[in-house]
Amino acid sequence: MSDVEITLAKTALFDAHVALAGKMVPFAGFEMPVQYKLGALKEYNAVRDGEAGIFDITHMGQVRVSGNDALAYLQYVTTNDVSKLVDGQVQYSALLNDSGMFIDDITTYKISDVEYYLCINAANRYKDVAHLQAEAAGFDVSVVDESDDTTLLALQGAAAQAALQPLLDRDLESIGYYKFAQVKVGGVAGIVSRTGYTGEDGFEVYIPNSIAVDVWDDLLQNGAVPIGLAARDMLRTEMGYALYGHEISDAVTPVEAKLMWITKLDKGNFIGKAAVEARKSAGPQQRLIAIKLVGRGIPREHYPVSVDGALSGEITSGMFSPMAGGVALAYVKPEHAESGDLSVEIRGKQVAAERAKLPFVRSNVRR
Amino acid sequence: MTIPANIKYTKDHEWVRIDGDIATFGITDHAQEALGDIVFVELPEVGRTIDAGEAYAVVESVKAVSDVYAPIAGEVVEVNEGLEGEPEKVNTDAFGGGWIAKVKVSGDGSVELMSDDEYTTFLEE
Repeated sequence: MSDVEITLAKTALFDAHVALAGKMVPFAGFEMPVQYKLGALKEYNAVRDGEAGIFDITHMGQVRVSGNDALAYLQYVTTNDVSKLVDGQVQYSALLNDSGMFIDDITTYKISDVEYYLCINAANRYKDVAHLQAEAAGFDVSVVDESDDTTLLALQGAAAQAALQPLLDRDLESIGYYKFAQVKVGGVAGIVSRTGYTGEDGFEVYIPNSIAVDVWDDLLQNGAVPIGLAARDMLRTEMGYALYGHEISDAVTPVEAKLMWITKLDKGNFIGKAAVEARKSAGPQQRLIAIKLVGRGIPREHYPVSVDGALSGEITSGMFSPMAGGVALAYVKPEHAESGDLSVEIRGKQVAAERAKLPFVRSNVRR
Repeated sequence: MTIPANIKYTKDHEWVRIDGDIATFGITDHAQEALGDIVFVELPEVGRTIDAGEAYAVVESVKAVSDVYAPIAGEVVEVNEGLEGEPEKVNTDAFGGGWIAKVKVSGDGSVELMSDDEYTTFLEE
């Protein structure tokens, strides 16, 4: 036994994962299933081929922001324009530091003019909450971390709605893309949004831990297939969705990460705005591009990327896509974003690659 | 999990079948199960001389990249090109269609080899 023991958190569904032969691994401070008995490829196929995949993503954090200044506060701490949200709408956004670098990417749920709900990344939870609470000074808001009480499930795939509907008191057909509703799940209050991280139609379901096992079991009963972290990462990478610690971090701004579409410079002041404006006019230091391997092999995170034979950057996420082959996201020098011959160094050899359009495979989200 | 009787095993979970002066290499059922779905195999070049214990191939699963080590020294005389199109054979038929390379044994040594019984005990330890 080692001298240092790291205590990993378990979600309310830990025993359920183990019962399904989930291979548990440390992830963002939790023990989470990287795959179940089916294996990553079959789990991936289930989601892409019309079934309903069920994911325990309870490691994600939730923060409730309420008070008379909730809108003004969120306009100041997040990058997107919160004033554009209507009640029941979800918005992809980010928290930046004063240097314009990412603290996290988040989703903002508008419950009412005085109440919002934020979903944040697991690994960034304590950092985010400390930041959000520190910046709340001077605003009439309360910022409450509800992560420990909340189970978050994602149901993704063409059959997601059919699997979830029987549990709810609300017609899911009435919830559009990036919309949500406060619902009763088996009589208990929860939130359901038509959102996800896979490129398929589907939902994210926030419920209290006390009913997590019952809801999980009911969804399995309705045909949902449990999906681990490995397949989840394949599905999100194929869509080109950014993941904190990979495409975005406290070393890049939205200018580099191609996330200016969630960074509204015309909405008034917000944390990091001046730095982003400066970076925008100076030009990005690197640019995120999508690449596809032409030669054989699998591009992986941190593999060097060269342009015209000279080192230009590195891969941030890379994988074997059953539908698209070897695909990756990479940062390269700005002058190489659109031209020059690409290659990826795999075990000392240069393997030819080409620029690709995102998503790598067709998205089936319901717009 | 299967552990065939007529072949030898290494502590790194490779297997070797010796037939005259030709040795066939692969990874064990235990290894493929631990790795998960294999999506790519990098084969050695025919004609390459490899030492016992040298990394001669690479198998990649969805999440991991793993070196495969040679149980016995020799010269690569044939590789399983079928794995280029069907790497999953390493998962589905680890001791048969999932073989990786055939080597002409040079007599320059081997790593410690175990019988099926010894490997079974090794896995239980």
